[in-house]
Amino acid sequence: MCKSDNIYLPNLATIEAIVDETPDVRTLRLVFQDEQVRENFSFRAGQFAEYSSFGFGESTFCIASAPTRKGYIECCFRSVGRVTESLRRLEVGDTVGVRGPYGNSFPIEEFFGKSLVFIAGGIALPPLRTVIWNCLDLRDKFKDITIVYGARSEADLVYKHELKEWQERDDVRLVKCVDPGGAGPDFDGKVGFVPTVLEEAAPSAENTIALVCGPPIMIKFTLPVLERLGFTDDNIYTTLENRMKCGVGKCGRCNVGNVYVCKDGPVFTARQVKAMSQEF
Amino acid sequence: MPQIITEQNLRNLIDLLVKEAKLVVGPKLSGSVVLYEPLTAGSDLTLDALPRRSSKELFFPICEDILSYKRENGAMKVNDVDRSKFPEAVLIGAPPCDAGSPAILDAVMSWDYKDEFYLERRRKSTIVGIACTKGDDACFCRAVGLAPDAEAGSDLFLTPLKDGSYACNAVTEKGQALVAAHQNLFSEGAGAEPKPFVDQAVAKLNLVKIKKWLEEHFEDPLWEKIADICVGCGACAFICPACHCFDINDEGSTDDGVRRKHWDACGFAKFTNHASGHNPRDVQNKRYRNRIMHKFKYYDDKFGKTLCTGCGRCIRACPVGIDIAEILETINSKQD
Repeated sequence: MCKSDNIYLPNLATIEAIVDETPDVRTLRLVFQDEQVRENFSFRAGQFAEYSSFGFGESTFCIASAPTRKGYIECCFRSVGRVTESLRRLEVGDTVGVRGPYGNSFPIEEFFGKSLVFIAGGIALPPLRTVIWNCLDLRDKFKDITIVYGARSEADLVYKHELKEWQERDDVRLVKCVDPGGAGPDFDGKVGFVPTVLEEAAPSAENTIALVCGPPIMIKFTLPVLERLGFTDDNIYTTLENRMKCGVGKCGRCNVGNVYVCKDGPVFTARQVKAMSQEF
Repeated sequence: MPQIITEQNLRNLIDLLVKEAKLVVGPKLSGSVVLYEPLTAGSDLTLDALPRRSSKELFFPICEDILSYKRENGAMKVNDVDRSKFPEAVLIGAPPCDAGSPAILDAVMSWDYKDEFYLERRRKSTIVGIACTKGDDACFCRAVGLAPDAEAGSDLFLTPLKDGSYACNAVTEKGQALVAAHQNLFSEGAGAEPKPFVDQAVAKLNLVKIKKWLEEHFEDPLWEKIADICVGCGACAFICPACHCFDINDEGSTDDGVRRKHWDACGFAKFTNHASGHNPRDVQNKRYRNRIMHKFKYYDDKFGKTLCTGCGRCIRACPVGIDIAEILETINSKQD
């Protein structure tokens, strides 16, 4: 199947495991059915794929697992539409289609020898989680690693088991938070919005790269905080999660001005984002 | 030496091509409208009106299967579409605003990832363009750098002559091959005077100046002024020779069906809607701005071409009277 020149043909993958991250956010662990694809599929942290549910169509999600973890890939999605709801109805052992990997990636090698600050909001942790595990699997290449992650409520925090793991590691600083009103009685994180909590956590900007992903409103208020902390626009990376269909620069919907997120991105520096037409 | 083909022989040529089992597509009266449709005989060819939709669909159909899937004994199987079965095709009687569109769309369909559905149809087709003598006041091909006698995109180009015959210019090897294979239908000679072309109301636009203005005026009161009346019906995109946005969907059950690529339009409200409900182009004038920007700036930035042939269809079709030529003239006349 892969030998065809049909760019729209997916590879088939079997759902190996399902994790319900929140009441409406689900992780699928996928294993390619074709042995050659399974062995040869490679990607870089930050790339995305088109996942298909047969009978419904395709949806675009990042590859949320780390390229350092071989043998499977994971995607994480919220059920909000026809395709994602149908993906949610699938069970372990069922088949999905996967096209990709597409787009550019985080230049992780350029981050070697530096500290990293990850800042994510809500369901925007998966696009950074691939980088987090990629970097944790190469832990000695980096200095301090800080993760600031927040969601509307405790229930909306994704990867709860991994948050616990990061919290317990002494080589990671995890600052987790929920919006005011979103904490349960036993919540052991901070209460506040991500930009405010980031400012309080005040990670040093010296020799540090910031990686940010979240809803547009969070990005808008986080960038000035990073600036106050001393981060330059070249040291701030984000990944844009625009609506896509083809993933390969043809269908015409993911563009921000003349920038095609699927081909020129999805990973951009803050400098690149600021130079774009402001259409977010 | 120029070649001449009489009108009767042009119709005979169509008969022959049909006999050769080629898919011959040209303007044909379908009910009360002229559309590009498969011609079954030379007598089907209707050259007195611009077809309602463009000829782009010969290469990029409104809707086409890109794969099929079927569950067999519990295992899902995906099957490719056999593109070798796409027919050899001849598009005949397309004016420059239609014949010129593939030359523009080739760029987006072949950069980096190659859309072999489009490209295979392109390889297997020959375009017989025809100089346009029937324009109306919505036409503005001259304004965007084409002309009623522009050969761009045509393999064989016909110019209507006053005596009813056509002067022929084989522009490409495909065009030469078409003439060589049917040489008896063509004769050598200078022929009569060409029929006059229709004057166009729109002056030639300075596309470089327009692009520069667009670059500097992403935010501008103009967008609300011209485009808040847009109802987002998408008609302008669906009849456009150059619009290429599409969607991908499945049709069938979870066990057996096809995946299809079909036209879409940036004017539709949900075109860019995120899963979260956030929409980067949340109001109609932002969507219309994207249409203008894509055609006169972004496509040029990426591929060095303007994504418009000046056919005027969007002007004729718009239910609220948005006139793209008028908008371009407004921008063209701005001083800053």
